[in-house]
Order: sequence, then C-alpha cells, then structure tokens
Amino acid sequence: MSAGETTSDSIDRYSRQVRFPQLGEAGQRKLMGSRVTICGCGALGTVLANHLVRAGVGHVRIVDRDFIETHNLQRQILFDEDDVAANLPKAEAAARKLRKINSAVTIEPVVTDIDHTNILGLVADADLILDGTDNFETRYLINDAAVKLNKPWIFGGVIGSEGQSMTIRPGITPCLRCLIEDSPPPGMTPTCETAGVLGPAVAVIASFEAVEAIKLLSGAYDALNVELFMIDVWDWNFRRLKVAGLLGKVDCPCCKHHKFEWLDGELGSHTTTLCGRNAVQVAARRPEPLDFLEMARRLAPVGEVRHNAFMLKFAAEGHEFTVFPDGRAIIKGTNDIVKARTLYAQFVGS
Amino acid sequence: MPVVKIPTPLRPHANGLDSVDTTGSTVGEVLGQVFEAHPALKERLFDGTELRRFVNVYVNNEDIRYLDDLETKVEPKDEVSIIPAVAGG
Repeated sequence: MSAGETTSDSIDRYSRQVRFPQLGEAGQRKLMGSRVTICGCGALGTVLANHLVRAGVGHVRIVDRDFIETHNLQRQILFDEDDVAANLPKAEAAARKLRKINSAVTIEPVVTDIDHTNILGLVADADLILDGTDNFETRYLINDAAVKLNKPWIFGGVIGSEGQSMTIRPGITPCLRCLIEDSPPPGMTPTCETAGVLGPAVAVIASFEAVEAIKLLSGAYDALNVELFMIDVWDWNFRRLKVAGLLGKVDCPCCKHHKFEWLDGELGSHTTTLCGRNAVQVAARRPEPLDFLEMARRLAPVGEVRHNAFMLKFAAEGHEFTVFPDGRAIIKGTNDIVKARTLYAQFVGS
Repeated sequence: MPVVKIPTPLRPHANGLDSVDTTGSTVGEVLGQVFEAHPALKERLFDGTELRRFVNVYVNNEDIRYLDDLETKVEPKDEVSIIPAVAGG
C-alpha cells in the first residue's frame, strides 16, 4: 500500500470525524497521506501527537532530546510511572504508547537535540511542522527552516495559565521573527520553573495547534487562524490579536530578507538551560556514539553509574548527570551554563 | 481614560496591579505614566528609548508596529496591552 492509499477498513475507524462535514472523507484521506514533524515531546508535544495519531495523520515523526521524570506526569499525557522507571527517552516512550493507540499510523521517534545542523533533515519531507518545544531558540530554528523550505508551521507557547498560538505560513502570514523580533534573554521572562504551568493550559494550546494542523493538512485553508491566539485559562481571558498587518511591515531578516541567522548557526547557543528543571543541557556532539560500558567503568569511583541503550546516569558533586549516546548531557542542580560546561568537562570529558 | 493592561509576569513590578489608568494621548505617553508610578517596569520593557524586541504592545487588538509605534494615538476608551513572549511548553 503506498502513501495516501487506504483500505475501507482503515478509514472506518475515523467515521466520527469523517462525518464532520468540513473534513469529510476527502479530508480524511488527505490526513492519512500526510507527514508531520512534531518538534519536542513534552506537555505540548504529547497532546499534539495524541490528537494527530488518533486522527490518522499518516506519518508522525516525534523529535525530542529528553527523558521522562516523575514531575512530567502532571501534564505530559502519553507517559506513565512505568516509563519513568524504565528510563525511557520521551520520543521512544511516546511512540510505544501511540502505536498501541493507532497501528495504522507510522510513528517515527527521533531521540536528538534539534539544532542548526540537523533540523532541515528532520522537517524537509514533512507537510507541516508542529511546535512542541519549550524554548525560543528551537522555535527560531523551526521558523528559519520553515521559511527556507516554504513550509507551514504552528507556534505554541505556554507559561502558568497563559498560552499563545499562531499558524505560520511563509509568505502568507507574518513569521515568528516578524511577531517576536528577538528571543527574551535568560532571566528576563518567567519559565516553567519560576511561574509553574498548568496541564490544562498546555492542553488547550496544543489542542488548538492540532485543530489548525487538521485544517492545514486537509486543505481547509479558509478556516485557518490568521491572528495571534491568546488564552488565560485561569482568568478566562481569550483574545485574538491582529498581527496579519505585520507581514511586510516589519523589516524581518527571515521572511523578508531570507537571512537565516539561526539556521546558519550565527545566533543561538548550543548549551541551554532547560525550562523548569534547574538543569543545563550541554550539547557536545561527537561523530561516534559514546561507549557507555567504558564510561561506566571510568566513572565507577565517582559513585553508582546506571545505563541502558539510551542513556547513562550518575551523580557527582551534588549534580545528577544524564548522558546520551550522541555526547549530549543534561546536568541537574544548576542553571549556570558555565558551571555546567565545567562539570561536563570534568566528568564526561571534552 | 486609556487603560494599560499589565501581563501576569510583570504584575510583581506594578504592585500586583493588572491594569493602570492613564491620561495620555499616545502609546508612549501612557506607558511613560505607567513607568512614573512603577519604575521597575521600565527596564523590563525598554532598552533605552526603544521597546525590547521580545515585548509587543497592542492598542485594543492592533499591533503598534503597523500603526505608529510609540506615537500611535490612543483614545480614552482604548486599552493598551503589553504582551511579552511566552516561552514554555
């Protein structure tokens, strides 16, 4: 069976949404022949993946750099306590759960940190890119890649009880850099750690993104959101800010001048603090996968070292290290990038 | 009188207020009045004389960048909203 072709059996499972006239059978078949890349599989990403896999989007690639911890379960709906105990990466755990939900969909988990060297390969074959990230660096990378490839993407962000979302179609709507010209510097805006985040607030924004995805993939372009959608689920405040007029008005380096500063690696660091985690990720990419057995032997004097195929964990100097085969490490117990780099060099090696 | 809406993350710098009444006739004037009463807000929103690039200001639901920026006229019934970027997810 080639892409886009389906049996009558397989479309039956979608009967309740096929009966929704704005989608219909033609729209459903387009969904089934579509490919999406979901960037990030945390609170936004799990809700996005859940909706789109159940809706029958044919190929869903889920990209995430992180692993599951107990405090994720409050809002990251595809994970459970067994996943935490198994030390599974989020993308892998999500894929296992989603395959049980809908075996007719191809689910492709990718455990990696999205950066300027790999993003084009992760999104080039997708019809749509979805924002499940928790940081602006990755969002600007997605934006650059989407504009360069002339591909739509859907932005979503949430803190506390407030969220924003916008459907971005290069050349048709303003892009993210038209809307937010620069990323907030560290310490200038609240994070999930300082301000907290409510699960239902994230679910509202991710669900809104998912509806926009269904419209885009099924060709219902007239129904798309062309404004910046904002909601505060605590204050029950709902707004649509008129941003369409920014297209062409802002001297946008990205969509007006096609200068891709994030994609070209001119902007953005490769070491980042993780939202809400009191942790820093050090991304020191290596051409060959790390040898965890050798590392575990080397680190034995430091203390207990645990590892599986996906990660190696140990503690040192009051910090918990999680190291991935590609050389990345997440160092818990600090928000200080320089300190994290130092610890990395000390215990993982440069 | 034009009212300036303060977003949740900035309320601690505005004595916890969610809005401030002003008497100005442009966006720059009304924000200036807010900063007189709550000086800690200014450095978070402005870099010198310019709005920081991750903060946007709307008059009612219109972005001032396609109006007249800080010179955009405001009427007594207007609502001026400060909308910071929302990073998490």
